[in-house]
Amino acid sequence: MEFLIKIVYILIFPGLLFSSVFGLWLAGIDRKVVARMQRRVGPPVLQPTYDFFKLLGKETIVPSCAARHTFLIAPYVGLISLVVTALFIPIGGLQAFGGMADMVVVLYLITIPSLAMIFGGSASASPFAGVGVSRSMVAIMAYELPLILVLLSIGRAAGGTYVTFSLERVTLYQQMFGSFLFDWRLIPAALAMLLVIPCEVGAHPFDVGEAETEICEGPLVEYSGAPLAVFKLSHAIKMFIMTALFCALFLGGISTGMLWLDVVIALALCSVVTLICMTLLHAITARLKVEQVFKFFWTVVSGLALVSLILVWFVD
Amino acid sequence: MFKKLIDNSAARSPWLFHINAGSCNGCDIELVALLTPRYDVERLGFKLAGTPRHADIVVVTGPVTAQSKDRVLRTIAQVPDPKVIVTLGSCPRSCNVFRGSYSVVGPLDKYVPIDVSIAGCTPKPEAIIDGLALATQILKEKRGAK
Repeated sequence: MEFLIKIVYILIFPGLLFSSVFGLWLAGIDRKVVARMQRRVGPPVLQPTYDFFKLLGKETIVPSCAARHTFLIAPYVGLISLVVTALFIPIGGLQAFGGMADMVVVLYLITIPSLAMIFGGSASASPFAGVGVSRSMVAIMAYELPLILVLLSIGRAAGGTYVTFSLERVTLYQQMFGSFLFDWRLIPAALAMLLVIPCEVGAHPFDVGEAETEICEGPLVEYSGAPLAVFKLSHAIKMFIMTALFCALFLGGISTGMLWLDVVIALALCSVVTLICMTLLHAITARLKVEQVFKFFWTVVSGLALVSLILVWFVD
Repeated sequence: MFKKLIDNSAARSPWLFHINAGSCNGCDIELVALLTPRYDVERLGFKLAGTPRHADIVVVTGPVTAQSKDRVLRTIAQVPDPKVIVTLGSCPRSCNVFRGSYSVVGPLDKYVPIDVSIAGCTPKPEAIIDGLALATQILKEKRGAK
């Protein structure tokens, strides 16, 4: 029985099926709302789903000088690690798998999709991919530091006298003492996290690695057919994972007593966070340069996170 | 079930790749005008792809010049199947006013089969949308025939 429940967790909720459907839906409303903000009608909300299925039906071309196996396996590695991440993030208090230090696990796992893209891009032997790969690496270095600082401040705030790395404890703490978003010490960290999300997902204005108009989507330049579909799906799931992580870290204090209602509220909050940190930013900004992204994240965003960390450490 | 889903999606998400084969830039501007709020072809699922590997529909503008011929053919060969080739404007079909020039080796249908031709110098955006809608139908048929 327990085994069956685990299978349901992994394959249906909140694993593969649910995160795909919800991620594609998030990507759909993102595109729709961006279009509305630009006074366009915009594509239907199901557009990313259509894109995904269409790409499944296309021919897969592997360039003759590419490293064939790495090229074909990389997208699936990214997808699997994202699905595993979804199992560790509490959605409205529902956490499929937990542990003492699941925050560290999540921190490692959400880097893997970007790495998979880097491996796939390098394997495709295209100069455009080469440029995209080097830019993606800079972007990863840029957002990792503030992300770790944010997680440290949350851990300290939830742990009291020590730093906790358990997302379950963070959720329990918030359910007892209120969400961290309304804790004044953690507001700078929340702002930093809102800026980390688009960079991690690869959304405007931080999409240096996948700049479509400059370097033809960087690492994805040689991909076609099913592997490209999986990369697009991973991108959509990443939106879900990162917003769900934000909700778990900063808005975890909502508990109505009914688990399903908590989950629905958490998913609604995910959509709102997507609209704020990805759609709004996409509509009002242009792409930054690589060095600008790096500088911005290591000064402004890390600074915000650091302020929170210091406040949490020394102010009660 | 999945086959039907994929067939239907093929017509709803056509990604364009635009090749300029020596065009005067008139048709290119009209093509880009389709993405503006006034015409907004994204509502039909169209998207300009940055690379031929992502494309479903190849839009060629301009009479094929001697310099661009190899590049055009190589680019079209890089597009994964099923694909549709659309010519935009009079040039790729008849070489238009450039016919007989020493540097023009067109029209395009000497080299590749053309699925849809959008006539005009330059075609109106409405005509381009009409032609692209036809192209998506052909795309769906090609996908279904596979």
